[in-house]
Amino acid sequence: MLYYEFRKILSKTGNRIALLALLVLLGVTCYFAVNGYGTSYTDEQGVSRQGISYVRKLREARLAWEGPLTEEKLAAVIRKHAAVIAAPEYNSRDVTEQNIAYSWTQDYQDIRQMICRAFGEFRSYDYYKIDSLSPEDAADFYPNRIRALRTWLDTEAKDMYTEEEKDFLLERYEQLETPFYYTWYLGWDKLFEYGPTIQMIFVLVMGFVTAGIFAGEFSNRADAVFFTSYHGRKKAVTAKLWAGVLLSAALYWTVWGLYSVTVLGALGADGASCQIQVHVGWKSFYNITYGQLYLLMSFGGFLGSMFLLLLNMLVSAWTRSAVIAVTAPFIMIFLPSFLSNLSVPWLSKLLGLLPDQLLQMQTSVNYFNLYRIGGRIMGEVEPLFALYGALSLLLLPTVCALYRRAGRG
Amino acid sequence: MQLRLEHVTKRFRETVAVADVSVTMENGVYGLLGVNGAGKTTLMRMLCTLAVPTEGRITCDGEDIFEMDMRYRKILGYLPQDFGFYPDLCAEDYLMYVASIKGLRPAAAKKRVEELLHRVGLYSVRRRKMKKLSGGMKRRAGIAQAMLNDPKILVLDEPTAGLDPNERVRFRNLISELSQERIVLLSTHIVSDVSYIAKRLFLMKDGRIVHQGSMEEILEHTPVRAWLCTVSKERTNACLKKWKVANIRAGSGGNELRVLSDLPPMEGAAEAELTLEDVFLYYFGEKAGDDDALL
Repeated sequence: MLYYEFRKILSKTGNRIALLALLVLLGVTCYFAVNGYGTSYTDEQGVSRQGISYVRKLREARLAWEGPLTEEKLAAVIRKHAAVIAAPEYNSRDVTEQNIAYSWTQDYQDIRQMICRAFGEFRSYDYYKIDSLSPEDAADFYPNRIRALRTWLDTEAKDMYTEEEKDFLLERYEQLETPFYYTWYLGWDKLFEYGPTIQMIFVLVMGFVTAGIFAGEFSNRADAVFFTSYHGRKKAVTAKLWAGVLLSAALYWTVWGLYSVTVLGALGADGASCQIQVHVGWKSFYNITYGQLYLLMSFGGFLGSMFLLLLNMLVSAWTRSAVIAVTAPFIMIFLPSFLSNLSVPWLSKLLGLLPDQLLQMQTSVNYFNLYRIGGRIMGEVEPLFALYGALSLLLLPTVCALYRRAGRG
Repeated sequence: MQLRLEHVTKRFRETVAVADVSVTMENGVYGLLGVNGAGKTTLMRMLCTLAVPTEGRITCDGEDIFEMDMRYRKILGYLPQDFGFYPDLCAEDYLMYVASIKGLRPAAAKKRVEELLHRVGLYSVRRRKMKKLSGGMKRRAGIAQAMLNDPKILVLDEPTAGLDPNERVRFRNLISELSQERIVLLSTHIVSDVSYIAKRLFLMKDGRIVHQGSMEEILEHTPVRAWLCTVSKERTNACLKKWKVANIRAGSGGNELRVLSDLPPMEGAAEAELTLEDVFLYYFGEKAGDDDALL
C-alpha cells in the first residue's frame, strides 16, 4: 500500500517537476554559498580571485592565526593592523594600491571583526573600530563583551527584562569559556548563511508535493473508490500519511546532506569545535560550538519542515484542496517576516515561537527572547523544539482522523 | 446474501434527495431506473457507506452496514458514476493499488489483477497510463477495480454513460457474466442497459421508488397501452400536444406515431406491445427525453 502511495506521488508530472526544481534550486544555493561574499582571495597585486583554489589560499593565510585567542594574539593583530594602516598603500587613493593593502589584512579579517564587535556598542558594529585601538586594549577584549551587555541591560533594555532575566543573560555570558579557539570556519559560516534558504525552499517545494496526497483523491475523483475499499478509512489513510512523512524526511536529509557536503567540501569543514561567538553568534547567550549549532540547524530544520508539511497535509485533508494546502507553508514562513517589522515586545516573543524559527536556528540562537517555563528561564530554542515536537506528534493522528471523516456525507 | 433498505431517507438541508425508500435485494441483477436528479446516485452512495441516511437503515443480512464498517466494505464493489483514477499510474499499477487498499495480499493481488485485466480486455494495454486509455477502457478498468475483491455486493452507478453502442453491449455482457452469486445493483437512465439483464427493476422519481418488479410485472401493471397511428406531417404537432408520444417515424404517407394512451387515440390506431421505454416515458414524462434517456 505504502509502495503504491509512493508511486502515486512520484508518478505525477507536477511532482516530478517540483522535485527537479528543488534539485536545481539546491544547485543554485550551493553555488551562491560557495562563491558568495567572503570567499574571494586578494593576491599580492591587489587582484581579487574567486574559486576553490583561492579559498584554499585564504584558508592557509587565516590558519596562521589558528589557536586560542589570547590577549597576546589579539594584541599582535592590533599591532599588525596598525602597521597596515600606516602603510602608503593603505592611504593611497589608487584602488589597486588599496587592494594590495587589503591583501595584507585578509589573514586576520575574522579576528578583526571580533575585535570590532568587542569594542563597539552592544547593538552596533564599526568595521574601522580596530583603527583606534592600541595593543594594550587587547586585555579588555573578553570583559568588554560582558560589559556591553550589562550597559545595554541598564539602559536601552532596562524595562524589557526582569532582574531575574537580566541575571540569567549575564550569567550565560560569564559562563562562556575563554579564550576562544580560533581556526578557519568559513565553510560553517557559509553553510549557516544559506542553510535557512535551502530549508525554506525545501518546505515550499515539498508543500506542493504533499498538498496533493490527501486532496488528490478528491481532485482525481478517486475518493469514492478509496473510501469504499476495505482499508479506505483506516490503513489506507495511514499509508498516505506515512508516504508523505517518509518521503519528506528522506528528501529533507538528502537535500540537507547534499548541501552540507557540497559547502563544507568546497570551503572546508574546520572549525566545528569553535564557539559560535567567534562569528555568527558573538552576542548569543547560547554557549555552543559551530558543530552543535549545525546539529541544531539540522534537527530544527527537520522538525520545522515536518511540522509545516504535516500542517500542509492537515489543510489538504480538511479542505480537500491542494491549492489551499500549498498556501499554508507560505503563510507560516512569510507572515512572521511582515509582522516582525512591528516593534511590539509581546509580538516579538510570540513570533519567536512560530515554526519558521526552526528553519533559521542560526538567528534563533541570537535572539534575546526569553521565556519562563516551569520556573525556568530560557531562550526560544528549547520551547521551539518541545512545542513543535509535541504538535507534530499531535498532528499525525489528527490528519488521519480528519481525512477518515472527509469521505462521508 | 440479503441487502435491505428500510424507510431510507436522505436530506440535504431543505432538499430531500431520497425519500422513504424500502427495498430488498437478494442475489441477481437489479436495475435502478430514473432520470437525472431522481436520487439514484445518493441512494447508491448510501449503499456504499459514502453517505449516511438521515432516516431509516440499511442492513446486510440483518446487520446495519455502517456498524459492519470494514466487514461490509470487504464484500462491496463500487463503480461510481463519476469514476476517477490516478491519471499518471498505468492500468496495472492502478489496479494493484486498489487491490492493496481492498486488503488483497500482494501475491493474490497480482494474480487477481492479471485475471481481471484479461477478463475486461485490458491486458495488452496494462502498462499504458490511465489518462491515455479510451473512455471505454477506463470504464472497463473501473469495473475491474470494483471486482478485485470478488464482491458479494456490486454497485454500478451509470456504468455505461458516455460509451459507444459497441462498448455498451460489451459492458452489459460483462455485467451479466459477473452477476452470478452476488447482488448487482445497476443504476442508469438508459433503459436498454437494464432491460436485458436485470431480474428486477426499481423506477425512481423525485427520490422515491415509484414502481418496482420484474420487467414483465412492470409492463403488466403499467396502466397504459401503446398505439401506432399514422398522421399527416401537419397534424403531428397537434398530436404531440395531445398525447404522450414515445416515438415518431417519418414515412412517405405521413408520420407514424407511437402513442401512449389507455384508449385508442384515433380511428385506425393499432395496438403495439408495450416496452420498457414506453413505461419509462409514462412514468417520467418530459424529463425522460433528457440526455440520451431513450437510447
